[in-house]
Amino acid sequence: MLENIVSALDILFQPARLLALFAGMLAGMVFGMLPGLGGVAAVSILLPFIYLMDGYAGLAMLLGAISVIYTSDTITSVLLGAPGSPASAPTAIEGHALAKQGKASLALGVGFLASMVGGLFGALILSVAIPIAGPLVLALGTPELFMFALVGLCFAASMVGRDIALGLAAACFGILLGVVGAAPAAANYRFIFGQSYLMDGLSLPIVALGLFAVAELISMVATGGGIAGKPMALGKWGESFREFWRSRWLICRASVIGIFGGFVPAVGASASTWIAYGHAMSTTKDKRRFGKGEIRGVASAEGANNATVISDLVPTMLFSVPGGPAAAIFLGALFSFGFYPGPRMVSESPDLMYMIVWSVALASVLGAAICFAVTPYIARLTRVNFALIAAPLLLIMVAGAYQGTQTFGDILALLVLGIVGWLMKNAGIPRAPVLVGFVLATPMEQYFWLTTQIHGFTWLTRPGVLIIASLIAIPLVLNAVRWLRRRRTAVPQTETAVPGEEPPGHDSDIVLFTALLMVAAFGYALVEMLGFRPNARLMPSLGIVPGLLLSLYVLGRQLFRLHRQGRVANLASRRELPILGGILSYGLAMWLIGFNLATPLLLGWLLLGCARMRWHTALLYGMAVYAVAQGMFTLMRLTPPRGTLLDLPMPW
Amino acid sequence: MILPDTPLKSLSAAVLVAAGGLAAAPAMADDFYAGKTIEMVVPFGEGGATYVAAKFLEPFLEKHLPGNPQVNVRTRPGGGSILGANWFQQNAEPDGETILFTTSSTSNPYVLGMEEVEYDLAAMRPAYSLPFGAVIYVSPRTGIETPADLHSPDMPLIYGGIAAAASDLPVLLAFELLDLDLRAVLGFDGRGPARLAFERGETNIDFQFTPAYMSQVVDMVEAGSAVPIMTGGSVGDDGVLSARDLAFPDYPSVYEVYEELHGEPPSGVEWDAFQAIGATTFNFGLTAYLPEGTPDEVIEIFEQTITAINDDPDYQEQSQDAIGGYDLLPASAVTDSLSEALQPSDEVRDYLRTLLSEKYDVEL
Repeated sequence: MLENIVSALDILFQPARLLALFAGMLAGMVFGMLPGLGGVAAVSILLPFIYLMDGYAGLAMLLGAISVIYTSDTITSVLLGAPGSPASAPTAIEGHALAKQGKASLALGVGFLASMVGGLFGALILSVAIPIAGPLVLALGTPELFMFALVGLCFAASMVGRDIALGLAAACFGILLGVVGAAPAAANYRFIFGQSYLMDGLSLPIVALGLFAVAELISMVATGGGIAGKPMALGKWGESFREFWRSRWLICRASVIGIFGGFVPAVGASASTWIAYGHAMSTTKDKRRFGKGEIRGVASAEGANNATVISDLVPTMLFSVPGGPAAAIFLGALFSFGFYPGPRMVSESPDLMYMIVWSVALASVLGAAICFAVTPYIARLTRVNFALIAAPLLLIMVAGAYQGTQTFGDILALLVLGIVGWLMKNAGIPRAPVLVGFVLATPMEQYFWLTTQIHGFTWLTRPGVLIIASLIAIPLVLNAVRWLRRRRTAVPQTETAVPGEEPPGHDSDIVLFTALLMVAAFGYALVEMLGFRPNARLMPSLGIVPGLLLSLYVLGRQLFRLHRQGRVANLASRRELPILGGILSYGLAMWLIGFNLATPLLLGWLLLGCARMRWHTALLYGMAVYAVAQGMFTLMRLTPPRGTLLDLPMPW
Repeated sequence: MILPDTPLKSLSAAVLVAAGGLAAAPAMADDFYAGKTIEMVVPFGEGGATYVAAKFLEPFLEKHLPGNPQVNVRTRPGGGSILGANWFQQNAEPDGETILFTTSSTSNPYVLGMEEVEYDLAAMRPAYSLPFGAVIYVSPRTGIETPADLHSPDMPLIYGGIAAAASDLPVLLAFELLDLDLRAVLGFDGRGPARLAFERGETNIDFQFTPAYMSQVVDMVEAGSAVPIMTGGSVGDDGVLSARDLAFPDYPSVYEVYEELHGEPPSGVEWDAFQAIGATTFNFGLTAYLPEGTPDEVIEIFEQTITAINDDPDYQEQSQDAIGGYDLLPASAVTDSLSEALQPSDEVRDYLRTLLSEKYDVEL
């Protein structure tokens, strides 16, 4: 084994292969940082290039990208507040709150270091566990997979925030979004309105982009100035190293949780990250800072998500069942190079196995180092007038969304979800629970159905199920005990004010409108649902029925408040409306006259109208952005959306 | 020059045309694709089985097509392949430069007449097919050792699949044809997860397509944890799925198993339905379609190219691992049988729709 480890290092340390690994890392870092373009986009863009290299170099390239995605997307999550993937949602919540308090460097530094530790743990597990992980993966039957999804959902409840009714309504809305498309339990298409686009359901990157990135983009353009409103001081790295060292055991435990997440196909990354976040919460004495910038939340989430994405490779290589979408593409690459994953590959090509381990380890460490190096430059961007950054960012988001199916449906879905995200943001409804519901709805429904079909109700007594269930039960019991003890000692608690600004009042018109919209959406969904086949009804009803009740409650509460307090107008929200309108017009223009003609209009509006650039600098900058956007489309081998009325074809 | 309208004129025209044709045909074929680019549209995501097979074929097509065109594999996923096929129907020109490379995921919705289908697969012209065989195997705990035991298992048979109207359809139709008493649990998100459930003992009868069978199940068979029973078969000289799978000459086909159990060859609507769906799934598993109206010249070019690829020693060597070692089928071996399978009789269509809606609760 030792000789394999050394010979694998020898295989990797060929200039061409190291170069490939490095190129993959760079692509992964860039795509991790760009909102909405996560691991899948990076790996699928690299995929055609790997066929130009030898097998080891090609695989090293993909591994380089996979290993650094969750390290570099910390930057976007913290600075922009838009998570690159659901698994980064806790980082976006806590890290962005810290950034607004001027502690961006702390959040980023701890995030990078925790990601690195997670990656190294993942590499360690790959090298040690692959020979022995087989029985473990096989021990996780469908009941255990269902339980894991359920645990993820329970822990994600910790992200609901203070207003429980709103948070739960948001989670229900996420479930509603998640059940769009084909039902796993019965051959029923749900809420597709006769559109083949919706048959596969909504795609995760588009939901994440729409809900978070579009809304953040709008408010930042409207506010003008930089991301933080005032120049953001990055601060010193020193504090982040100290905080990292203080949280070292938490990060290790989070990494172990993440590794287990990787063994569970489909549920993996999101569930394990939230479990790790919930774990951080239950092991932190002072819980009040959670949601307002708690560094331990960042540390646990980043440790877990990077460990998961690496240990996703364990089921991929043992059983050729990919643990996540990026691992699925990696699997295809293995096939193409004539490696056929399975127990036999593990024993027959140990060199390959350890080459993979080395690539992952090297990329994790280098990735964190590069992130530290580039962050000061990226942080400088946060002081630039955001309208300037918004232009390329919006185009990247359009390209990222359009990569989904290359139909106009992608753009439409992005804009509609963007409106939803904007409404939720301005109505004070937390958006992270929407992502949670969306991601876990399908696996929960699927595994619940399979479990009851295969096992009847005997599955409830399976030891694995009981062990996983204890993950929910034990923290509950511990918390109850702690609460009781605190009551008995009855120490008078002095409420210390937590630093951080209270959000300004939400515009009551928007709150009312959003609540009405939610009642209408849930009400319509309920009527529609009654027409589904019985087996296709269970999961939607779990979202729709409580969702309808909760949104009715929220609506009633809002009417009562209106009656008592009168209308509250929030000027910030109102000021964002023209920007929202502008972006929607861009979508409409794209539909009518195509991307190639609509984009110059958008650039003109953003640069001249919003950023108030002088026209010649705007022309120069606009042309550069336009060229980069076209380059992105070419790189991704996409033809930009064509107009229905007229279209300007590009010469290439 | 004005010629009177005489037979001579027609004759000379015919001669001219014939001569021109003779002279032009080889010259045109030689460099037909010179400097051109072929886009091979795969209506599934990167990294899937169809994508891998397309990437495997890409260099061989580039090498053997006249004029050595560049072949680009382009993925257009969505709608279980329907979006990509719809796109192809609406956008591809019949110039031989755009190919749709797809599986029964595209043909089944077409045969079943699903609403979302906007493509006319039977009107398209197949360029070549790659067989995609499959082996049905059981767990030793069932006590089944040969096909004859299928009706007397030691424990209830339970099968894990994805969805009745998708790639499980031919196997479910085989179970129907053989009148097996089993419970089908549908809703897995791939054949891989379904196989894991088999390995965990949650299900006890399963099938895998050839590449996955070779890399995963062969080991299980050697270890005694899986027992191969039969294959879907391949299209024989009679144009139906009566022959053995070329990759597994030792295992009987569904056709043979029926014959063994009943003492006569299968017939009737159950067989016709299995034959139609099974042929497009297994024998023509991965098929390259050219748009309707593609000239014969292009079809002829592919015919010769496919023969050349099959004779290429590199192909023979590499295809064993990558795709199960099947030879490519040229258009002449595909067109008639595939066209028949894509357009089954109304009786078969009704049978399929009734079975799916009554037994598997599928709304079409």
